Amino acid sequence: MPILTIDNQQIEVLKGTNVLEAAKGLGIVIPHFCYHEALGAVGACRLCAMNFVEGPVKGIQMACMIEAKDEMVITTTDQASQEMRARVIEWLMMYHPHDCPVCDEGGECQLQDMTIAGGHDIRRYGGKKRTYSNQDLGPFICHEMNRCIQCYRCVRTYQDYCGGTDFGVLGTNQRVYFGRFRDGRLESPFSGNIVDACPTGVFTDRTFRYRTRYWDIEEAPSVCPHCSLGCAVIPGGRFRELQRVRGGVNKQTNGFFICDRARFGGGYGNHPERPRVPRVDGAQTTWPEALRALRKRITDLVARHGPGAVAFLGSPRASLEANYLLDSWAASLGSRRIAFDSHWQHDRSARVAAGKLGPRAASLEDIRCSDFILMIGVDPLNEAPMLALAVRQAVRRGVRLAVIDPRPVTLPCAAAHLPLAPEALPDVLEALAGGDIRRLGRREAVLLEGILEQLRAAERPVLIGGPDLLGAAGIERLLDTARLLASEHRPCKVMTVLAGPNSFGCGVLARQGPDFEAILNGMLAGEIKALVCLESDPMTGSSDPARTGMALGKLELLAALDYLPTAAAHHAHLFLPTTAVPESAGVYVNNEGRMLLFSSAMDPGTPISVSGGGDHPPRTFLPATPGSEPRPAWATLGHLQGRRLSLRDIRQAIEMEHPNFAGLSSLTTGGEGKRIADISPPPETAPEIPFPHSEGEGTLRLYAMEDFAGSGELAGYASALAPLRPTPFVMLGALDAKQRSLSDGQQVRLRSELGGVGVALRVVPDLPAGIALVPRLRGTALESYVPGRGHYDCQILSEDEEKT
Amino acid sequence: MTDLLPQNIHDALAAKAIEHLHPREMIIEVLRAIQDHRGWVPDEGVELAGQILGLTPLQIEEIATFYDKIYRQPVGKRVIHVCDSIACWSRGAENLYLYLQETLGISPGETTQDGTFTLLPTCCLGLCGEAPAMMIGLKAYGRLTRERIDEILATERAEAGA
Repeated sequence: MPILTIDNQQIEVLKGTNVLEAAKGLGIVIPHFCYHEALGAVGACRLCAMNFVEGPVKGIQMACMIEAKDEMVITTTDQASQEMRARVIEWLMMYHPHDCPVCDEGGECQLQDMTIAGGHDIRRYGGKKRTYSNQDLGPFICHEMNRCIQCYRCVRTYQDYCGGTDFGVLGTNQRVYFGRFRDGRLESPFSGNIVDACPTGVFTDRTFRYRTRYWDIEEAPSVCPHCSLGCAVIPGGRFRELQRVRGGVNKQTNGFFICDRARFGGGYGNHPERPRVPRVDGAQTTWPEALRALRKRITDLVARHGPGAVAFLGSPRASLEANYLLDSWAASLGSRRIAFDSHWQHDRSARVAAGKLGPRAASLEDIRCSDFILMIGVDPLNEAPMLALAVRQAVRRGVRLAVIDPRPVTLPCAAAHLPLAPEALPDVLEALAGGDIRRLGRREAVLLEGILEQLRAAERPVLIGGPDLLGAAGIERLLDTARLLASEHRPCKVMTVLAGPNSFGCGVLARQGPDFEAILNGMLAGEIKALVCLESDPMTGSSDPARTGMALGKLELLAALDYLPTAAAHHAHLFLPTTAVPESAGVYVNNEGRMLLFSSAMDPGTPISVSGGGDHPPRTFLPATPGSEPRPAWATLGHLQGRRLSLRDIRQAIEMEHPNFAGLSSLTTGGEGKRIADISPPPETAPEIPFPHSEGEGTLRLYAMEDFAGSGELAGYASALAPLRPTPFVMLGALDAKQRSLSDGQQVRLRSELGGVGVALRVVPDLPAGIALVPRLRGTALESYVPGRGHYDCQILSEDEEKT
Repeated sequence: MTDLLPQNIHDALAAKAIEHLHPREMIIEVLRAIQDHRGWVPDEGVELAGQILGLTPLQIEEIATFYDKIYRQPVGKRVIHVCDSIACWSRGAENLYLYLQETLGISPGETTQDGTFTLLPTCCLGLCGEAPAMMIGLKAYGRLTRERIDEILATERAEAGA
């Protein structure tokens, strides 16, 4: 590892490190714009000049372009390099407008900082400035080209890193322009990253425009709750509302960037209908009253019907601490009836992953560094968007990517796609693990042979799968396949996408316990009289909403702890408000078993924008903040058990009880987290979800799939995401459409056990025959189609046929 | 489409694009074909090029706006590109550029009222050895003087008018 001297200080750095990074390691921060750790060095801004006195290169050089070598002696404080930087920043600033007071970036502007650091203060240029017309880039991003200093970071982020094709650099020299061909919303689902990447105010968050200055916003490192990847995010709040989310840095998970669902989907906690006050039998009440009532009713029920009459439902979006306390409460009452996900198939998949992944789990960083990727039964852009970006980074290095999935898996990179029906996926896994490859069709077998060959030749292959189509049994088979493909010298890692941010943690806690299906049967049989839901809405979360609704109706007591205006919260006899993720601290265990700490950025309270209705908030004087009743779920659950616990106490208790969580209490915020220790006892074999063949003429097997902005529970309550939600549609293969004389774009009638709905038809050329797909879209007629529960039998008819 | 590109040329380009390993490399070729036919490249021309090559309009526009000899605005029948680089400047190009503006009665970027000439600056035509230089259409002219410019304009005007 090279050792070099910068400003009379020695530093040893990893081979391949550039001099700019090496200097940063010594605490010497030299102004720069175009260099970004994730985007690399291009030497375009000419700002990071240093003087190379001794070593292989001499003279004034751009530090980002020079690899650190032994015996280099470099100065950054000499007159020549300082003067160079001061001149360059003066050129860069020549056309920059004096609009800092009205610019959203003001106060957190790298250009401001670097201008000062570079030594430029008084403008000498007195001529006319070059100006531009801006474009309307849609509801998320504001465009202000006059502020541009042509560092190209936005294009390198948008096109190179994120794979977007509708935004780029236009013109040349004095007319260089960063924008689109025409006005319109940026199409990439990662578009918001250009806000973080832009060093000044050219691209700013439109949803945050003119809201808050940087020094007034309350921020804290947190973890995104929108999927199971555990990306680092930094939510920011003011006036009691979450105002923005920006990307955090975790090199093991998201790296530097986040998806637009994470960035613009943070508003669920601001929802105007968010229940903020404890409620007993529909009437608002005080905390002590509500807690007393809940305790008393549960004690009475246990006394009358035994502990088994009370069931508990945890949640993959609740923290590990809260889920653990729910578990310990159930145990203290003597009830074994606790499940941690109302979608029992997802629960089963999470248990398999939690029990069997172990050290074979691939992180997003492992995927970025892999050399062959096979995705089977996973649709990253919709299920776990940043996974798509991680895969793209590998593909950019020339890595091959094979996708086996019936869905039209859209990716921001090239892939070889083999569309096979869901029921063929287990056969594929079996074939990969050394089974009979001839069970598949000839064409499929040939393609699979090719994939196998590449898998065997690769040094760092990764298999990626998801629970929606594979199910628990498929996930288990995927893990077995990886085990069989791995050898002592050649690991084969696996990533399983799970349902929620804490599915893995829930999978560990669930152990051999019942799943929600068992609890549902208990409720329908009348054995279970009470259900306590922790940040969980079984009405929309379970895989059978209709049956769940019926079962909930039979309960004597439905208690809900939540921060969303869910159906369960609405119908609960007893409701206790909890804090939303940006208002809470806790731990999520992401899909690779990485424990990630999130901390509280703000206190709960009714947003002034809600209480004031856009005007000045009401002039009433109260001792407490309006709407500040919500409490962290873990605090409430501790209270209900008569225990006064701190988060530290809870984490230590978890470590004691579950040795796999070792290191939990020493996690730090903003860190990379810690992988859960290997879990030794394998879970009980998950029940196979059968794929029965459909019956009846013209019947299709309909699978529900996730949608980027339309399916997630939290996303459903984030109003800013509305422009990203599609209108309901159904997808059908070209052959099936032709047989039915249906054409692309036509309005059709979709009929299944859930009733009939009118939707638009999308013809997907290579969708396997006999299969139809719908996205689950909350708030539409497609809301009750739940992904990950096998198929629905359906018919697709033209509107005229329906009438006859 | 016919006012952007004749059908036979369109089909030939489309066939070539399918065979091409990197259709991006054909962007200039397609844009030139549209420009030769239409005189300039309107927005619809950029979109058509995108369709032919399987690229987004933005990807076409990035290239189209990089080159000053792809016209994204209507131009006259003859476009005069006057070199404003240092070699020509040192041989008096600046004065000749002003002379052209006076003679034609237009500023850089403008088109004469009769629609014959559009005047544009360009950076280096590779004719430094014959500085000062300019280019009209695809024809290069070196060792320019006021007199030579008068002659050239007269000839070009006659040809364009014909």
